[in-house]
Amino acid sequence: MAETIQHEPAVLPGPKPSKWQRVRVGLATFIRRYKLAPYLMLLPALAGIGFVILWPLVQMGIFSFQNYGIPQIDGSMPISWVGFANFTNTFRDPEFWLSLRISVLFALVAVPGTLIVGTIVGLLLNRLGKKMSAFVSTSALLAWATPTVTASVLFFWMFNPDGGLVDWTLARMPHWLVGNTDWATYNWATTSAIPAYTMIALLVIWQAFPFVAITVLAGLKTIPSEVSEAARVDGASPWRVFWRITFPLLKPIYLVLLLLSVIWDFGIFTQSYLITGGIANANEFNLSLYIYAKAFTFPPSWGLGGALALILALILLVVTFGYVRASVKQGALT
Amino acid sequence: MNGVVAQWKSEFPQYKNTKVVTDWIPWTANGTDWTNALTSGKGGPDITEMGNTETPGLASQGALANITSDVHAWSNGSQIIPGNLANDTVNGNVYGVPWFGGVRGIWYNKNEFAAAGISAPPTTWAQLVSDAKLLMSKNKGSYGIGAPTDDTDAIASFIWGAGGQIAVQQNGQWVAQLTSAASEAGIKFYADLLLTQHVSSTKYIGETEIGAPGSSGAGGTQEDFALGKLDLYIDGPWAESQLETVSTKNKAQWASFPIPSENGPNPAPAFAGGSDLGVWVDSKYKAADWSLVSVMDNTSNATTFANSQGFFPEFTSALTSPTYASSQILAGFAKAAGYTQIAPMNNKNWGTADTSQYNIIPNMMKALESGANFQATVSKANTELQNVLNTGTETG
Repeated sequence: MAETIQHEPAVLPGPKPSKWQRVRVGLATFIRRYKLAPYLMLLPALAGIGFVILWPLVQMGIFSFQNYGIPQIDGSMPISWVGFANFTNTFRDPEFWLSLRISVLFALVAVPGTLIVGTIVGLLLNRLGKKMSAFVSTSALLAWATPTVTASVLFFWMFNPDGGLVDWTLARMPHWLVGNTDWATYNWATTSAIPAYTMIALLVIWQAFPFVAITVLAGLKTIPSEVSEAARVDGASPWRVFWRITFPLLKPIYLVLLLLSVIWDFGIFTQSYLITGGIANANEFNLSLYIYAKAFTFPPSWGLGGALALILALILLVVTFGYVRASVKQGALT
Repeated sequence: MNGVVAQWKSEFPQYKNTKVVTDWIPWTANGTDWTNALTSGKGGPDITEMGNTETPGLASQGALANITSDVHAWSNGSQIIPGNLANDTVNGNVYGVPWFGGVRGIWYNKNEFAAAGISAPPTTWAQLVSDAKLLMSKNKGSYGIGAPTDDTDAIASFIWGAGGQIAVQQNGQWVAQLTSAASEAGIKFYADLLLTQHVSSTKYIGETEIGAPGSSGAGGTQEDFALGKLDLYIDGPWAESQLETVSTKNKAQWASFPIPSENGPNPAPAFAGGSDLGVWVDSKYKAADWSLVSVMDNTSNATTFANSQGFFPEFTSALTSPTYASSQILAGFAKAAGYTQIAPMNNKNWGTADTSQYNIIPNMMKALESGANFQATVSKANTELQNVLNTGTETG
């Protein structure tokens, strides 16, 4: 620190500095002495984030302890504090627990599904020739690039009882293979949660695996080929090579992919909203649909919505915290 | 609408330089738009159309101007079907006027009836089921009658048709009555159309009469009826234009009859659906708004508009006009329009109970058609309904 001060123009001989120059120099010294430069550079971004994320977050936190709705906004009824009522009402609602269960189970299926399919495709891409690899990865990325709404409507039609490809095919399969269900009129979307989320899981995996595949491929390219070659020469099976060499080396990548997938799949809204019929089928709500139905339908209840959003944020924070801790422990993120 | 505005300007010359902008909003987006207008105090309409079951809720949220004195002074006011105007009245104040209305009935195909040897439409449930079975056996690959689960207004007719009630008002409180013997008979009959009579299809579970709710609108009983894959289809006369967009092949054969009551001969009461016009609370030009409403909704304009949309006007005199009785499609619906009911759909919490947030009756019917225990499911819905209908009554 002392040396930097020696470089200050103020201590150099020369014409007497103006008042403005002295202020400038003094400020610069202050910033350097307390290492404030990085914070100053972060300030504009922080202000932006504070304005669009942090302040609304604080407001949401406040709303969640109030009975905040339209009459409170237009002033026809006073805002009153309701304590934890929004939370206790939620925890008492069996539909909340059902929607939480659906979200958790869905993530338990979709996250591993995405990671497994993505890894397999990534490994395959790594072994393909340049042209074929480019072709396969482009095709796969098309699925990723398909807008969610388009993809959802497409799946809705494929699984439609009125001539949907899946129902049509299943109806033509022998009964010993597909069971005795009348597949020709089987309504995947709105009958109940299991068929609907089976369909949504396929959709989500189909849309998300290319991202995993490309990320894994990028990781694979960084592993020197000698390592796995040596293992193979020593007689290790591909299975063993993957678990003993590839996977440990790619662990940081997998931690990030896992975390992102959990966050994405836990909170899916578009797909479930479009496929299960908006918010008409309460027994097919996941957490996002439940929150939407409770908070934003007319008449809206932003107090309850705020409480629900806080609950969802806390759940995701716990998940995130768990993985960040695990990865820091393993030195993956340092 | 342009004609109506011109008429309004000639009747009220003080507004001859006023510009009237009509903003078409998708029906399902109206809640969002109202919310935005109310919370921001900006962008609200001057006059709004609203579903008649939405009016009491909107009024209790403070969205609508009190137009009691205007309506009472209005010459057309006395001709409105009294029950429908009562629906727009909250605590003695009028917040809207009925614009047009409609009732559900059952669509059928005249040729199919003739081929099956059915000479007159059914007037009891037993006949309804036997006719549905007969039609189904004559038309290979079709279903007899569609019983979608997300169709409260149709289910209501079966509850009422057995002499039951969904909920009644007693001493200022709403008492849910889904568990009464008569209501249960109606609910069970509807669910059994699929479960024991097998005249409906599992594909309608979770669907409205026009397919999966809120989605791409594929399928549903409406499309199947238009294509001849469904023999009897419960909906209102307004469905005609939508049926035509699917197929006009059987259009000339389409006809209607009222939803039968359990033992006949009178039809089951039909839910008196429809739309109202109201003046927005934040409008700066309330006097002009009302004057335009009074022209839009005068007997001749309202009748013209209703006819063009497949609805009925809200005036007692117009309903008995021979135009309806002699129309093949409208005759059945016009007959049904003579037996209507609106309670408890005029409860201010009905929107919450019946749509989005709770969807109580659709979810109950869905559970039943999926094979859930009857008593437990109905009794759960009954408790939930009573709670929601009475929400906010203590605090006003």
